Amino acid sequence: MATLHILSHSPFTDSRLASCLRLLGAGDALLLTGDAVYALQPGTTNLQALQLMPASVALYALDEDLAARALQAPERAQVVDYPEFVELCTRYAKVNSWL
Amino acid sequence: MKFAIALFAAPHQPASRRALRFAQATLAGGHEIVRLFFYQDGVHSASSNVVSPQDELDLPREWREFVTANGLDSVLCIAAALRRGVLNAEEAQRYARSAANLEAPWELSGLGQLHEAAQQADRLVCFGGQ
Repeated sequence: MATLHILSHSPFTDSRLASCLRLLGAGDALLLTGDAVYALQPGTTNLQALQLMPASVALYALDEDLAARALQAPERAQVVDYPEFVELCTRYAKVNSWL
Repeated sequence: MKFAIALFAAPHQPASRRALRFAQATLAGGHEIVRLFFYQDGVHSASSNVVSPQDELDLPREWREFVTANGLDSVLCIAAALRRGVLNAEEAQRYARSAANLEAPWELSGLGQLHEAAQQADRLVCFGGQ
């Protein structure tokens, strides 16, 4: 069952992102919100790890959280707003927040 | 689609704003919210005593207006609320405290309400973190 994983902590302060990457299934997706968007910081191993995910795993980032941190989404990530966030939750069978 | 939304973060944390914006987008998108559940530090979002600086977003007020305007079922975990000093008039009287800071539309109830909401909803979406 495809799961949407929602991350909201910086990957530079804990291992949630690393744990999540280990658990991802083939059709799962990752949504970066809050400080988790720092994973898209250019030139970091976190971004490299995300770039290495198989193409079947979709990667999303919340637009206002990127804007608040002056970050640009790389090509690999799709930027979503709140209506699209809601739509993503309906598209995946499960929603798992890494609190 | 039916949503249950749980908030674990305090009103001064970004996750509280995210949960509110998500909840607003859920209704705007034609979906239903079966219950909002406030747990852990999320219970502070319901306190009537929070005073936000004038030039900052007043999240407790926004939550209250959103819940009232849409007639939503909004529950605080009673154990989480009591230990953080968020009491309605009934609990203030029960524990002989001098003041209450929780009014309508909020309700105090048990964690079972989160479980029930998760069963009733198609999706449970939890908010916490930074």
